[in-house]
Amino acid sequence: MSVAWWLVFSVFLALPPTAWAQDERLTERLNPATASQVQQVVDSARRGGLPGEPLVQKALEGATLGASDDRIVAAVQSLHGQLRRAREALGGQASDAELTAAAGALRAGLEPSALRRLQSLRPDQPLVIPIAVLTDLVAEGVPPAEATRSVLDLARDGRPDDEFVALRRQGRAAGAEPMGRPALRPAADPPVDQ
Amino acid sequence: MSMSAEHDDALDDEVLRQVVGELRKPVRLDPSLDRRALDRIQAESHRIAPPASRRWGIWIAGAAVAAGVLLAVTLPDRGTTPARASAVALEQAALAGDARPVRLRLAAPTSSRVAVVGDFNDWDPAATPLRRAGDGGTWIVELRLKPGRYHYTFLIDGRRWARDPNSPPAAESDFGAPVSVLTVS
Repeated sequence: MSVAWWLVFSVFLALPPTAWAQDERLTERLNPATASQVQQVVDSARRGGLPGEPLVQKALEGATLGASDDRIVAAVQSLHGQLRRAREALGGQASDAELTAAAGALRAGLEPSALRRLQSLRPDQPLVIPIAVLTDLVAEGVPPAEATRSVLDLARDGRPDDEFVALRRQGRAAGAEPMGRPALRPAADPPVDQ
Repeated sequence: MSMSAEHDDALDDEVLRQVVGELRKPVRLDPSLDRRALDRIQAESHRIAPPASRRWGIWIAGAAVAAGVLLAVTLPDRGTTPARASAVALEQAALAGDARPVRLRLAAPTSSRVAVVGDFNDWDPAATPLRRAGDGGTWIVELRLKPGRYHYTFLIDGRRWARDPNSPPAAESDFGAPVSVLTVS
């Protein structure tokens, strides 16, 4: 065998296994066709600079919850689209965690402009917590406009993440009362999470 | 000094002058010498160069090396969180410096077993069972998770899904089951 072919062989040995293999978690938990379809979406996302792990987790979630193959693929494709929109809103400098959180926010019905505004108010700070709080508030039933206003108020004042968490707790308490819910205000309560 | 010796000396001087004179004359080279030398060098290099097939092999090998380096640099490493490695994943998260302790609780007094599945354990029902607390009705598990946002749900008695009442619900429900969201800050 010539030196050239030895070089080619060595290169293939040196390549990371992921360069040609499917994610084992997908192949073990999904049928081959579905795993292949999901893998294509994951690869496409990664080629586009988007995080692939949330897409893998979405597929695994569907598998565990007993969803049909079509539904799993559709959910993964939908999340891929949301991740793309999230990056369009936040730009290429956003971290994977921020993109994932932002995708959830868009899914919850929040506007990309709200994310951009939040980013402009916290240019050098992580956005995961404020975006997560914003999403949670909307999921708890707080109107998106009101939730956005409250979170942006905190961001504008340069409040730390702890105060966003406190705002979420206030929103959860308020959301339990369908009528006469008080307006959200930035809270000064000490941060308490799980 | 004799006359003969003087004559010999004079003769020697004359010969020496003629030799020096010849040596001092500019050398006239054949004008085509440079061209002939270059042609010769070129012919020799063709003889020494590898055959075309071998040159192609070297080019292919070089291209393969470049492609390999490019792939290794640009492709993400999916192998760091292997399949069926939920426990490993949790352990890795725990070993990471920025992992945070998180305690999940669920009141399910009539249940015989409770597990949690989520983004943090590859949604593996066998990976993260809860333990029954002292009061007998509450199930608890402690996790160590990196900052981020996680979707999860409880599996009760291996057949019923239950959202965590202590956490916000997921805004989306792609698969119909109740799912909660946990944000680790």
